[in-house]
Amino acid sequence: MTNRTTIQLEINGQTQALEVEPRVTLLDALRDHLQLTGTKKGCDQGQCGACTVHVDGERVLSCLTLAAQAEGRKITTVEGLSGPGGELHPVQAAFLEHDAFQCGYCTPGQIMSAVACIREGHAGSDDEIREYMSGNLCRCGAYPHIVEAIREAAKVMS
Amino acid sequence: MTIVETRSKRGDASDGALGGRLSRVDGPAKITGEATYGLEYHPEGMVYAVLVQSTIASGRVRSIDATAAEAAPGVLLVMTPENALPIKSATDWLETPPSEAPYEPLAREVTFSGQHVAAVIAGTFEQATAAAALLKITYDETKAITSLDDPEAGIGIPIDQMTVEWGDAEAALATAPVRIEGEYRTPREYNVPIEPHGLIAEWKGDTLTVWEPSQWIDGMARTYAEWFGLPFENVRLVSPYIGGGFGSKALPLEHSAVAINAARMLGRPVKLAVTRPQTFTAFGGRPATRQTIALGATREGKLLSIVHRSANETSMKDIFVEPLGSVTSLMYETPNLSSRQNVVRVNTVKPGALRAPGENPSAFGIECAIDELAYKVGIDPLEIRLLNYAEQDPHAKKPWSTRRLREAYAAGAEAFGWSKRHPQPRSMREGNQLIGYGVAAGTYPVRRTPGEALVRILSDGTVEVASSSIDMGQGTYTILAQTAAEAIGVPVDAVRVKLGDSALPRAPVAGGSQLANLMTGAVHKAALAARDELIGLAINDPNSPFRNLQANTLVVEGGQIASPRDAGSGIAIAEVMQRIGRDRIEALRDTLPENLRNEKDHFRNFTTITTMRSPTEGDYSLHSWCVHFVEVRVDEDFGTVRVARMVSALDSGRLYNPKLAESQWKGGIIMGIGQALLEEGTIDSRHGRVMNNNLGDYLVPTNSDIPDLKVISVGIPDTNASVLGGKAVGELAIVGVAPAIANAVFHATGKRIRDMPITLEKLI
Ligand code: FES
Ligand code: FES
Repeated sequence: MTNRTTIQLEINGQTQALEVEPRVTLLDALRDHLQLTGTKKGCDQGQCGACTVHVDGERVLSCLTLAAQAEGRKITTVEGLSGPGGELHPVQAAFLEHDAFQCGYCTPGQIMSAVACIREGHAGSDDEIREYMSGNLCRCGAYPHIVEAIREAAKVMS
Repeated sequence: MTIVETRSKRGDASDGALGGRLSRVDGPAKITGEATYGLEYHPEGMVYAVLVQSTIASGRVRSIDATAAEAAPGVLLVMTPENALPIKSATDWLETPPSEAPYEPLAREVTFSGQHVAAVIAGTFEQATAAAALLKITYDETKAITSLDDPEAGIGIPIDQMTVEWGDAEAALATAPVRIEGEYRTPREYNVPIEPHGLIAEWKGDTLTVWEPSQWIDGMARTYAEWFGLPFENVRLVSPYIGGGFGSKALPLEHSAVAINAARMLGRPVKLAVTRPQTFTAFGGRPATRQTIALGATREGKLLSIVHRSANETSMKDIFVEPLGSVTSLMYETPNLSSRQNVVRVNTVKPGALRAPGENPSAFGIECAIDELAYKVGIDPLEIRLLNYAEQDPHAKKPWSTRRLREAYAAGAEAFGWSKRHPQPRSMREGNQLIGYGVAAGTYPVRRTPGEALVRILSDGTVEVASSSIDMGQGTYTILAQTAAEAIGVPVDAVRVKLGDSALPRAPVAGGSQLANLMTGAVHKAALAARDELIGLAINDPNSPFRNLQANTLVVEGGQIASPRDAGSGIAIAEVMQRIGRDRIEALRDTLPENLRNEKDHFRNFTTITTMRSPTEGDYSLHSWCVHFVEVRVDEDFGTVRVARMVSALDSGRLYNPKLAESQWKGGIIMGIGQALLEEGTIDSRHGRVMNNNLGDYLVPTNSDIPDLKVISVGIPDTNASVLGGKAVGELAIVGVAPAIANAVFHATGKRIRDMPITLEKLI
């Protein structure tokens, strides 16, 4: 299987062309082909959430998505979250303030999930946040601080 | 090499001082995706390696047919023991001299299922993965011993160094008015850092660069140098960020040898990422353990004897000891004790360190047993702990440097509301939820290895700190910035910390919860030396603005130098540096004792653990302490257990940054909740395979498993333990969590579960 196809991906507002085999996942396209390594690979099989990105505004596991499937859609990664002048997104700022991470490896996925969780209207209570953030594993155990950060960011965003 | 600039925009200036709640200085890089982890570099011409693992647990590889794989698109090399370039054996971390035999990271003899037997290297990750599936491997299979309980496993090998005995424990037990006995078991558990292991290796002539998450840059670089016959200086290991390790990223592993060798054979940079399922056998987690504990006591609950027999599984080729008597012989005062341990050979990967190796399962045993004794004699589980409180180290017979465990019991009980506990098991409920309160203590030793650091004051008044130590989330970047800022007298955001590169001054292993204490000590020393030189120059240099003051000394504060008599009118460090014409003032300092200040011992100190001092070397016994109070809710019909709330009080001495220390404590507690309720490597007893080798089946805690956690610091500075008064943090808090939960489950249900995890089928 050496056939390569050229695809166009719109990532963080910029359209990029890349030539990949059809079997390349969106995650590997981001990390290996475009060197956008903010999106992390924790399992490559849809079980940890580290690879969470937004596709057309919804959270998606990029390890379970083929790059080709994302053609024509708007992809947002953690690199595209801060403002044009580098101002942190309220969720990012809250993660820093509440120390919602340690090693930082699950963090981009947590942040992308958190932004979506708030937008979906699932940050109404701590229990609801816990439930809707349970697809993102954190082995460092930052969960209580992630909940605090999302609770605070939700206030700022509303 | 990574440079992290401190940013303390939020919060007030006092946050930057040592002991302040400064936000993580490496935080902005991590939340924006800028932080580059080991597997995220992209040297020109990089190709991809994929490992192939054995499908039998015991036997030998008869043949590997690589015809199809080699013909697959993009394949550059199928590596087997037959065609791999030879690698030398290396000195190990205990400084055991290497064997003459070559080191073979790909196995011919298979001793566990999931052992690496081949590797495929191809132009892309997808090509390598596809070709790896085409290898045809045949084996001569022999019968495997799959677990500690395998009838063929036997009782194992006694480890005499683990024996601790005083008094006559067996006799005292036989005559004790009250006796209890139980067997406590923990299963195979895995570290599961969310960043999987792996590396990128690149050769340029006879220099090697490796980008790889590492808890011990200098130790691993030494092994790589010896494997490939290079001088140490020719190996550069870069590891600026580590996506979690919990003990598993400290030692060199087979897959690293494979990738470095492949890069050498192909003359191209090679990236090898261990897949998530492969991580379950590419290195070992905590071995399965069992302990028998017999306690003899008076009718009032005062201990008369502890008899402890234990065993952990190890691999067929290596001996790994999980010290199961470490807490048993430390926590309580008893006139008689006997503790012995065996290791049992099983067809498994060599077990490894997982957060608090030894203390963790050891505390599970003794902290459940003491709880059982409390119920047997009819006193409160907290009271029995105070009744048997060890006023000095019962084993080493030395005074504690600090032991704020009594304060921890008091503070924790108060905050938890322990007095509301009804003493009878199964007596508290809400609807069909049985409510249980449980308590257990924990401890972790203070380990000490000398450190080294470079501190530089630059002409613009900023400060650089450099060390090959690492930050995997413990907060090294942050607390070292705080240490240097305070020692020199500059704002914390004027400090840049560089870590994670073997080209920087040496550091010992980030393990045993020792790094923060030893590195703050080294940075403090180097920073004071740099500041003293700055003051000396400011007093004596002919061009210094302070030249005419005739001062004996000057003060440095907030980045300004001033006369002590006239502290208000300072001059910025940058201006003084420019006036005296210096572009830098630099101090490289180590905390080695005089007798180790020679090249050989210096190298040994940072690349082996032979200079690490035990917690009882010296006049005191040095340990951190903690206690956990837990409320569980058990569904009476379904047997499901939830931790409803927890309060933990901990004595880690002085905290350099409470915000980050609290995070680490909570992380340990959460891992303990997982251990108590979820985590268990399940092994197929026919093929010896880890059946749940993925994150969907090996369950670690998720956000919804974790309630609010309250942590209370009861520590005071302990300068016998470390220069700046801190004790162990990272590994402490997991110790005691699982027994506290097991004790709470007993209180809720009246069922004593002695083997972890506490899953619903054990309760219904
Ligand atoms: S890497 Fe995609 S879910 Fe784990
Ligand atoms: S911060 Fe390390 S895994 Fe979440």
